[in-house]
Amino acid sequence: MRVPLAWLRDYVDLPADVDSLVARLATLGFPVETVETRPLISGVVAGTIVGLEKHPNADRLQICTLDVGDPQPLTIATAATNVARDQIVPVARVGAQLPQLKIEPRKMRGVDSQGMLCSAEELGLPAEWFEDGIMQLDAATPNGTDVGDAFGLLLPVLDVEITANRADALSMLGIARELAAAFGVALRLPPTKAAGTGGPGQSDVRVSLESIDVRRYIAQRVSGLSVRRAPAALRIRLALAGQRPISNLVDVSNFVMLEVGQPLHFFDFEKIGGKHIIVRDARSHERLTTLDGTERELDPTALLIADEEQATGLAGLMGGLISEVSESTREIVIESANFAGPRIRRMSVKLGLRSEASTRNEKNLPPALTDLGAARAAYLLEREGGLAAPAHAYGKPIETPPEIELGASDVQRLLGFAVAPPEIERALGGLGFTLRLLPGGDGDARYAVRVPPWRSDVSIAADLVEELARIIGYDRVRAELPPTPPQTLNSTAFEREMAIAHALAGLGYAECMTLALQPQSVAESWRSPGIDVPAPVEIRNPLSEDQRYMRFSLLPALLEQAARERALRPLRTFEIGHVFADAPDAPIETNLVTLLYLAKPPADQPAWRDAAFIEAGSDARALVRAITGIDARLERATKAGLHPGKTARILAGDVAVGFVGTLDPRLLRAHEINDGAAAAIIEIDALPPRAVRPYVPASKYPAIERDLAIILDPAVAAADVSATVRAASVLVRNVVVFDEYRGPQIGADKKSLAVRITLGRPDATLTDADADAVTAQIVEALRAAHGARLRG
Amino acid sequence: MADLDTTLRELAQRFEAAIAAARDEHALDEVRIRFLGRTGELTVVRRGIGALPPAERPTAGKVINVAADAMEARLAAARASLERASIDASLSDSIDVTFSGPPARRGMLHPVRAVMADVAHYFSQHGFAIVLGPEIETDANNFDALNIPPDHPAREGFDSFYLRPDLLLRTHTSPMQVRAMRASGPPIAVIVPGKAYRRDAVDARHLYQFHQVEGLMVGPGIHFGHLKGLLTGMMRELFGPAQDIRFRPSFFPFTEPSAEVDVSCPGCGGAGCRTCSGSGWIEIGGSGMVHPNVLRSVGYDPDGVTGWAFGCGLERIAMKKYDVNDIREFVENKPAFLEQLA
Repeated sequence: MRVPLAWLRDYVDLPADVDSLVARLATLGFPVETVETRPLISGVVAGTIVGLEKHPNADRLQICTLDVGDPQPLTIATAATNVARDQIVPVARVGAQLPQLKIEPRKMRGVDSQGMLCSAEELGLPAEWFEDGIMQLDAATPNGTDVGDAFGLLLPVLDVEITANRADALSMLGIARELAAAFGVALRLPPTKAAGTGGPGQSDVRVSLESIDVRRYIAQRVSGLSVRRAPAALRIRLALAGQRPISNLVDVSNFVMLEVGQPLHFFDFEKIGGKHIIVRDARSHERLTTLDGTERELDPTALLIADEEQATGLAGLMGGLISEVSESTREIVIESANFAGPRIRRMSVKLGLRSEASTRNEKNLPPALTDLGAARAAYLLEREGGLAAPAHAYGKPIETPPEIELGASDVQRLLGFAVAPPEIERALGGLGFTLRLLPGGDGDARYAVRVPPWRSDVSIAADLVEELARIIGYDRVRAELPPTPPQTLNSTAFEREMAIAHALAGLGYAECMTLALQPQSVAESWRSPGIDVPAPVEIRNPLSEDQRYMRFSLLPALLEQAARERALRPLRTFEIGHVFADAPDAPIETNLVTLLYLAKPPADQPAWRDAAFIEAGSDARALVRAITGIDARLERATKAGLHPGKTARILAGDVAVGFVGTLDPRLLRAHEINDGAAAAIIEIDALPPRAVRPYVPASKYPAIERDLAIILDPAVAAADVSATVRAASVLVRNVVVFDEYRGPQIGADKKSLAVRITLGRPDATLTDADADAVTAQIVEALRAAHGARLRG
Repeated sequence: MADLDTTLRELAQRFEAAIAAARDEHALDEVRIRFLGRTGELTVVRRGIGALPPAERPTAGKVINVAADAMEARLAAARASLERASIDASLSDSIDVTFSGPPARRGMLHPVRAVMADVAHYFSQHGFAIVLGPEIETDANNFDALNIPPDHPAREGFDSFYLRPDLLLRTHTSPMQVRAMRASGPPIAVIVPGKAYRRDAVDARHLYQFHQVEGLMVGPGIHFGHLKGLLTGMMRELFGPAQDIRFRPSFFPFTEPSAEVDVSCPGCGGAGCRTCSGSGWIEIGGSGMVHPNVLRSVGYDPDGVTGWAFGCGLERIAMKKYDVNDIREFVENKPAFLEQLA
């Protein structure tokens, strides 16, 4: 909200230093986003045009004689056409400083001109919001008045942020009240017309409230008005606050809204059909053209202001064109109403219509504000020559605000330090709370605190503690370390994620964090070449089509990044994150780590071997080992996104924890990647907890190693060969299949495996003869199980 | 005997000459074979003992053994000296140590995780559990239990991505307050790092997906001063020992009293600079005393316990810590970015 400092000063005396004011507002909970400094203006005074004649030598110029309060009048030549005798106008005297220029004495076509008459633009105001030509000041302005000072043109305008709970502070008076309390100074309330009493007279309108969403409605008739320019002071206030001046009536309504926070609407009395205002739900397909000129088709979710003939406005949002105040308006009805905030907000969202009124009305304004708004408007309209009839209130009476019990101990309990009772009384009292000391209390000062009617956001003791904290300052809170509580929750899941990240970083992988929402095209790039994707989880209200679906795999984003970084090979990246699949009950969310390895394949890589797979597989097993302490096994499997013939399930003991595989070539093609690529996808929650078995000392007796080269069917897995070897004798300590060969030397339909077997006895040194016997046993087992024979 | 002495003396002289001539281990081995081997010169002499009168044999044996031992010792010494010479010679070898060969593997944590780890580390030291939660939440946990009923104006501030009428992507990590408190009675002290989503257009300062870290401590006698103490400690862990924090009143439906947390600007130390728009402070998160309604919604007794909660944006912290100006860098994962910050 734009807050002209000059306007605030109407209600409260503030320190001159703007920085300290801005700092105090921040510590009150109203951060100032920007401070707009005003252009420097000096030497501009109010002057009455006491003489006006044509310039002797120039048709386009007039010579004004001005009384600026000096013994001698000034003579000033002007080209403006809107000047007339008796007008009071801003006069920049010789030596005056304006935003764009400095005034010096000069001759205009042979006539000495002792200054310049100023337009609004020359005073630093938006030209298009004010009259063409010379700005017209108010009749009551004494000659010689310093214009910059008197009209608040010199003080900065603050852009103040107001939190959603403080509807009462969306006004000059609201902010002024906060500052008055903070600085411990008096708040000057603006004058209002004392509320009249009495039932509706014959010439008044009737009001019917047909919806529970209008909580209070004040109607007040004002007659004897004429539509004209509002006083300069009021127009300048509005312009500095960012509101365009229109005419005296519209300006008064906007002024009161900005001043006290109550949105108003003025109806042209003549145009109210049946002199009956009805607040009701719209009918289906009911139409209304709003003040912005838009014709809107409504439904019953809209709350209307209507008369007996038609809809005349959208409640709390915007009036209708039909009831608009016009040039010919002489009598109006002030509407000062309170609506249910949520209803107004829903309307505003649905109709795509936001206004200064709606931003206030949607926040559940305090109902008491309606009375103040009407009384202030009535006062200002009477200054415009109107005559206000008594106000009539409909709907709920103003409830007496609740009393809240607050003890000094509550303050200590929440803030951690004691605040003395007199200080509590002073701070809350300054904000309009009334405190009644309760008897008893057992050493604790306890109060019944009456909430002021405008603070509907305050309802419990903690709210009062916050009010207190705002005034006395959070800086008083002392930093302390709390006692460490015993914990029932543990950090296992988080620590596991961290351990995974550290292990992979140690293996040379770079951690990525990618966006989890994606366009449909990602799933399509899998589905169209025939790769399965899980049921998509769709966002119902995406911001754009690029963000309609939740990711089902971490691979696409990692591959996209890999495709972008073509020069980086080998590339090792990983991501830890959730992937999503839809299911009838609720979408399924799975926490994965996916690692990706890319490198140019070796030039001599045969079709039956894949260097990228070996790399990723080795790293994945190192990862599982690091996290679980288990040496993972691989077994043949398939997994969407990975090559159907080059993929393994990763088993930690008997638990399947994920997959490792060469990337599906169809996927690589979609990403235009030509390198060798393999990935491991591990489900973090499936990883068994780290379990360490009791220590078994290594055998004291030396081991014997035997290498076998065996020829067998290519379909036999190395893991099966290892298992057969292990099962063949208890003397086998370890088996490693360390090489594979295929080629013409052993025939096209065979492969050769090199197997290193470690043999040993637990209780004695193994003899060569024993080793030979066991080896023969193993060779026989391999022959029986796999048809393997020794090579060479 | 005199003959034997002479023979051995001459033999020793030849042995010495041979040792002196040996330039490497192999040559020493040959010397050994020549003198002490199966047909070596000393072995031949030893075999000659049998031809001596029986009375002389023991003495001759001793003399020969002494000579043999001396030779072995001499050989060992020569061998050791050769080894030393060889090592000494290798000490003058030199390589180009600046030639690096194949590039080293460069693994790294994402900067957001690095900050997350720092925060978790700090709070772990103070007895907090670090817990994780789902990104898909019920609107009951995300809003209702946090004192944000359906028509509350504050719901508007959390522009949410909905999956089903009652399911959304969590807009903050705060629903984990609810889950954690339901899972564990008071006292409770948890930190929750994780992703959150808001329906924001992406620009240099906004991502629709970001990381938060949530802190929650509830128990008897827990007050705002404890929040200040721990947050000050956390910020000092992140930004250095001179770091200060301040609280500014604000509004969050789930805390009362509520406060924004500002840290003194790491760019200027509080003097005012472009990073902090001249104020000397940078807003880093929200905090406050847990609202009694939130405590009630999880079955805690607001008269028996008090507590506080805070939430900070991790990208925001990382941006300030590492002077990153565009939040999109965190999801673009460019090597230049990751390599510099990890």
